[in-house]
Amino acid sequence: MNGIEQTLIGGVSGGTSILLPALGELISERAGVINLGTEGAMLAGALGSYAMTQSSGNIWLGIAAGIAGGALVGLAHAWLTVRRGGDQIASGLLLWFLALGVTSVYGTSYVGTVITPLSNIAIPGLHNIPWAGPILFDQDILVYASYFLVGIIWFVFYRTRVGLTLRATGERPEVVAATGGKPQLVQIAAITIGAGLGGLGGAQLSIGYVGNWFNDMTSGYGFVAVAVVLFAAWRPVRVLAGAYLFGIVLAAASVLQAHGVSINQYLLDAMPYLATLIVLALFARRGRSDTPEALTRSLSRSGT
Amino acid sequence: MTAAGVPGRLSAVTDRLGDRTRFGLIVSLGYVVSLVVFGVFVAFKGAGAISVYHTIISSTLLNSDALQQTVLRAVPIGLAALAVTIPARAGLVNVGGEGQLIMGAVAATGVGVAVGPHVPGFVSWIAMCLAGAGLGAVWGALPGVLRTWLGASEAVTTLLLNFVANDIMLYLIYQVWKDPNGSGQPQSRPLAHHAQLPKMFGSQLNIGVLIAVAVVALTWYLLTRTSWGFQLRVVGGNVEAARRSGLKVKTLLLSSMMAGGALAGLGGAINLAGVETQLRPDITLSFGYVAFLASFLGRQKPILVVGSAVLFSAVALSGNGLQLNDGLDGTIVDVLLALIVAVPLIVAKYRKRAS
Amino acid sequence: MPISRNRRVAGVLALALVAAVATACSSSGGSGGSGSSGSSSTAKQTVGFIMVGSNSDYGYNEAVYAASQKLAKDDPSVKVITADNIPENNAVTQTMQSMVDKGAKVIFATSYGYYAYAQKFAAAHPKVIVLHQGGFNTGKFTANFGTYWGQAFEPVSLGGMAAGGLTKTNKLGFVYAFPISQTIANIDAFELGAQSVNPAAKTYLVNTSNWCDPLKQKEAAAALIGEGADVLTQHQDCQATVIQAAKAAGKYVVGYHYDAESLDPSGWLTGSAWDWAPIYEAITKVALDGTFAGSKYNANFVGSFQDNDNPLTLASFGKSVPTSLQSKITAEETALKKPGASVFTGPITCQDGTTLVAAGKTMTYAQINAISCLVKGVVGTLPKS
Repeated sequence: MNGIEQTLIGGVSGGTSILLPALGELISERAGVINLGTEGAMLAGALGSYAMTQSSGNIWLGIAAGIAGGALVGLAHAWLTVRRGGDQIASGLLLWFLALGVTSVYGTSYVGTVITPLSNIAIPGLHNIPWAGPILFDQDILVYASYFLVGIIWFVFYRTRVGLTLRATGERPEVVAATGGKPQLVQIAAITIGAGLGGLGGAQLSIGYVGNWFNDMTSGYGFVAVAVVLFAAWRPVRVLAGAYLFGIVLAAASVLQAHGVSINQYLLDAMPYLATLIVLALFARRGRSDTPEALTRSLSRSGT
Repeated sequence: MTAAGVPGRLSAVTDRLGDRTRFGLIVSLGYVVSLVVFGVFVAFKGAGAISVYHTIISSTLLNSDALQQTVLRAVPIGLAALAVTIPARAGLVNVGGEGQLIMGAVAATGVGVAVGPHVPGFVSWIAMCLAGAGLGAVWGALPGVLRTWLGASEAVTTLLLNFVANDIMLYLIYQVWKDPNGSGQPQSRPLAHHAQLPKMFGSQLNIGVLIAVAVVALTWYLLTRTSWGFQLRVVGGNVEAARRSGLKVKTLLLSSMMAGGALAGLGGAINLAGVETQLRPDITLSFGYVAFLASFLGRQKPILVVGSAVLFSAVALSGNGLQLNDGLDGTIVDVLLALIVAVPLIVAKYRKRAS
Repeated sequence: MPISRNRRVAGVLALALVAAVATACSSSGGSGGSGSSGSSSTAKQTVGFIMVGSNSDYGYNEAVYAASQKLAKDDPSVKVITADNIPENNAVTQTMQSMVDKGAKVIFATSYGYYAYAQKFAAAHPKVIVLHQGGFNTGKFTANFGTYWGQAFEPVSLGGMAAGGLTKTNKLGFVYAFPISQTIANIDAFELGAQSVNPAAKTYLVNTSNWCDPLKQKEAAAALIGEGADVLTQHQDCQATVIQAAKAAGKYVVGYHYDAESLDPSGWLTGSAWDWAPIYEAITKVALDGTFAGSKYNANFVGSFQDNDNPLTLASFGKSVPTSLQSKITAEETALKKPGASVFTGPITCQDGTTLVAAGKTMTYAQINAISCLVKGVVGTLPKS
């Protein structure tokens, strides 16, 4: 196995921990609501899935618990922002602190224990394809699930009525309401489902990828997920590309060092954020991005 | 989350009262509920709610040493909270307090270590504060420019720049600025003793506290008593109207971000020069995000914002007492902080109706 | 927007909060609360321990906590109070203050980043004895301050022997967090230990720039395994991820911080585990009987194999380590316990060919504690300052 292939494999498997919450954030933002509580949803999902898997011994129940944990955070965000009309940024940050506090208090007893993480399943036939095979088709089940999710989300966004309503809600909720739609309901559903994916991302990290729990184990990847959505200009396939790019940067840092190549770790760590800033600077005004209008409005409307 | 229904029903009962009185009642009730919820939470963890609140108050406010620590911690948080408040007046969302604090501390370290040993103390104090405010202003100007000229949302660019600032700081203290006498630990050289902000009257409080108080007063004055402050509010109220009435909207927006960044940078510099005296990785750990919530809780009113910063400083420090007296996890204070901030979010609707 | 009205409303809000809190406060005053516990503990002397992470992190901090509890158990005259999750900033000053308010006579600040705060606090509180774990003071000591640590690299070098003896690819993987001197000494000792049984063994480095980031750890482990490493070790706060990754790939692992053999019985070779209780008990004894000033703990105390007081000990051997190798390692442990013995005995060459230690010489602890050279045989570079 050479270094490039190794980096790509790591980029896909590690990038999935970013991709899932990023897809969730995408859904939420497409409905016009930013969720900085994604980091909190990931923590809730990581601990929820880990605790459930350990007590039940069933990884599927664990995955369900992870989604539920994240969705709970999302429901709180939806209630505070959509129903109560609260500030989106403040709500997201407070849910991050809340999840951090609660998972630290309750997660401590799980530290130091392990479960067997998901094993890789090589897909017959496909995994033998040169290059692409080992990178894309020798991964764990949640990675495969994420491929389908990207497709499903793309399809729903652009080929269904639900997607149309969702996007319309993110642009002009008042128009949706005027035409008999229920923009609030759409937003609540989008935030909750989105944070559920954040929880799934946490689960992918704790029970899927590493097989253990540690307090604050998401180390800010929920914020990376937010960055990915911006980097991707709110398009599902670009979210996939962005998440893998960020994953590849992570993996490349390790692979380069393991090959004895000297790197500037801090510059590398800053790369994803700088890249996102550049993308934002270049495309924000050129009509090339799909920035949901309601999102823009709610972000610039804060304060008195 | 049945609390939603409670204020709802309450508002029906109090319909006959004036809007303001009713809103005040609802908010008060909200805080009581949120404190009760936290009381129930700690009870689950085996502690008594009364004892917990007693600890929180007595271990942060009623003891002179602890109160001084609360004030010291409130300085960077309070200034970073005002860094949120000023742009918020103009309708901008600055989530970049963390990065601006870090850059302030970085600038103060760079200047203080370089010139501190060679000049009288007061020269380096001034230089560090100015450098911190200056680099903070630059760090605030970046998203300001991205917003005003390129249309990129400052809410997200400020957030991204926090991570960049942290990486810059880590790069400096692990590599170029690493203390040669620090056993290879990640830290800059310490400031020379005379370059540190001096303590006042034998207390733990340094003159940075006075600087902060003066700056808070100045901020209050600028925001509420000058045409700049008024124009910011006009822009924040309605950009189009502001533009039509001839205000230089871009300049105003940018100036608000720079003023905010300067305040947070000053906060980082004072914290570095007066309290920490050496740049190390965790010196402003999450202060910037707490500051955002403090600004939110204080409803962008300078005095209330600073009060909220003191409150959050006390909440964070009460983790010590909660561990030592009540056997709780120190991280439980994050839950309390979240529950306090939840109240204004939950009652946001009533505020809109009341005003 | 009517600003003045808003302000009045907010005033009500603030008043309500104060009122709510004051009520809670005054009602507890009647019931006595828990604030008076300071006077009731006159019979016992209070000793405080401050930790940077969770006291059940299954690692560095839990080792501190466990030893503090053993101190309380072994010495009934001592009351132990602890605070964990205290970040390495001025917050720790407040924690020390709170402990003194609770009657603490001795305080152990157990994270490296507490050093400056602990030293300052000691200077400001002459009646409180403050100990710092891991620091090294090159200046003067006040009569109430001391640092203590152990030559952690000694057991780490023994772990390196196990790794060197069992590797088939001659590639060992080391996942570290940050390039601090203690870590560099561990990396060097690990490689030197491996070389002593297998001159061809090389140690490959990957850093994570985070003390516990499981995602990066997993990527690091995968990269090292992909590079051909068949034994992994680490210097991280949380070690489960790397052990799990090695286990899944069927590779060996050498642990750090605590004995984690149970996580991977077949892949576990050995490791090192903290045992702070003897040092805590010895320090507490002199601190409380008034003989601390001028004692060996009122200085930079460094436990070592040679003095038979190294707080970091060799963990148990896994079943994969053949008895012949086990006895070789224990023989080396015995040899290191002889006076004057050192892991860093020359000749030792750095990666770049310069001499770290000349033949026949040994490094002092102060030198090792400021080490910045990777020895020959380590693959990878450190960020240069």
